[in-house]
Amino acid sequence: MKSIQSRRGTASWRAVPAIGLLVLLTTAPLGCAVQTPDATSTTATQATANATVANAADARPVDVEAVDADAVAALDRMGAYLRSLKTFSVKGDSTFDLVTEEGELVEIPGTLDYQVRVPDGLRMQVRSDHKERDVYYDGHTLTVYGPKDKYFATVDAPATLHELVNVAASKYGIELPLADLFLWGTKQAPTSALGSAAAVGPATIGGVATHQYVFRQGATDWQVWIADGAQPVPRRIVITTTTDAARPQYATTLTWNTSAAAAPSTFAFTPPAGAQRIELVQVAVIEEKSP
Amino acid sequence: MSRYRFAILLPALVASAGLLSVQTAEARGQFVRGANTSVNRNFDNRGVENRNINVNRNVNVNVDDHGCCDHHDNWYYDHPVATAAAVTTTVAVTAAAIGSIVHSVPPSCASVVVNGIAYQQCGSTWYQPQYSGSSVQYVVVVAPR
Repeated sequence: MKSIQSRRGTASWRAVPAIGLLVLLTTAPLGCAVQTPDATSTTATQATANATVANAADARPVDVEAVDADAVAALDRMGAYLRSLKTFSVKGDSTFDLVTEEGELVEIPGTLDYQVRVPDGLRMQVRSDHKERDVYYDGHTLTVYGPKDKYFATVDAPATLHELVNVAASKYGIELPLADLFLWGTKQAPTSALGSAAAVGPATIGGVATHQYVFRQGATDWQVWIADGAQPVPRRIVITTTTDAARPQYATTLTWNTSAAAAPSTFAFTPPAGAQRIELVQVAVIEEKSP
Repeated sequence: MSRYRFAILLPALVASAGLLSVQTAEARGQFVRGANTSVNRNFDNRGVENRNINVNRNVNVNVDDHGCCDHHDNWYYDHPVATAAAVTTTVAVTAAAIGSIVHSVPPSCASVVVNGIAYQQCGSTWYQPQYSGSSVQYVVVVAPR
């Protein structure tokens, strides 16, 4: 309780200059500032912490002064909690931005559904109007299945979910959406990678009390709304790709079942009638010159 | 201006559904990039950000990914986008070059299984589907029969 009050205090201290600057620059209504705090509030927060930071590009090197300790602590706490879960399911109501040649954003709504058994079971379904995929992992094999064209590919997989996330990406070019859910709380999501971190304040997501935090990390600015209380799960995540001038976003609101038991058959793929097996090609890694 | 042009594009995409995949591919080629769907990307964490992940593109000399970026596979839209427009050139040729890769085949193609391997037969051209990341792509192959 003490820590929450502490964060709240920090949040209001941060938010006032951020919103103030936004109103000053754009004369946007306050409600608007709360709806889209991403670029402006992050920049403003950073400007507050370090006046020499001029823009997003300059801010990319880690700026220790802009990393708020309370925000990092909240992230650590969320990561530790996620790693404590043994079986869980999480559903995401998502939007994914595509970018046209002209730099215009086209939003694709969709859903994401994970069922997880630590350390060696995963089932994922993604659905949008333009694509449907199922992923199965049972500790032995990884299967990708498209229910519409009924093609599936199965490859050998490592023994743990944690290894799977890496192998799928590096060997097969499959980056699991929100792979962070499996990486936060591990060495692969070091808080040292954060370019900036700030607490925004209390927010309600789907009727659940949360606190909102904004971070700047690598190619992304990202925001997370972490549930208050004893189960600090991420209830909403927004990831903005800042290396793209169009700044496309992936945003998802998450619904959790932190004790969802699943039958072993959940994670084992059985080809439906008419399904045809095809190959899953390995990626070629091309070494590029140093920057 | 840009918004208006896209409004025209959507009906065009629908209208082309029954025509050659060339038009569909062109329309989809409008999308060149997508958003990141995770923060702690595998490649960043290993300190190999300067690597370029190339999902089997080197097979096809016609594919031009504008020398940019890593692959664009995503879970919400069917095609890794950067390659689609360039691939169109290959599709337009009557006899597609063996080894060429496309991201869609004409709707008139027939799904055929030969010796346990799935193909799409489109006239005299045979495609073998494969997953590249989470997306299906089709490699032009020698007719299996």
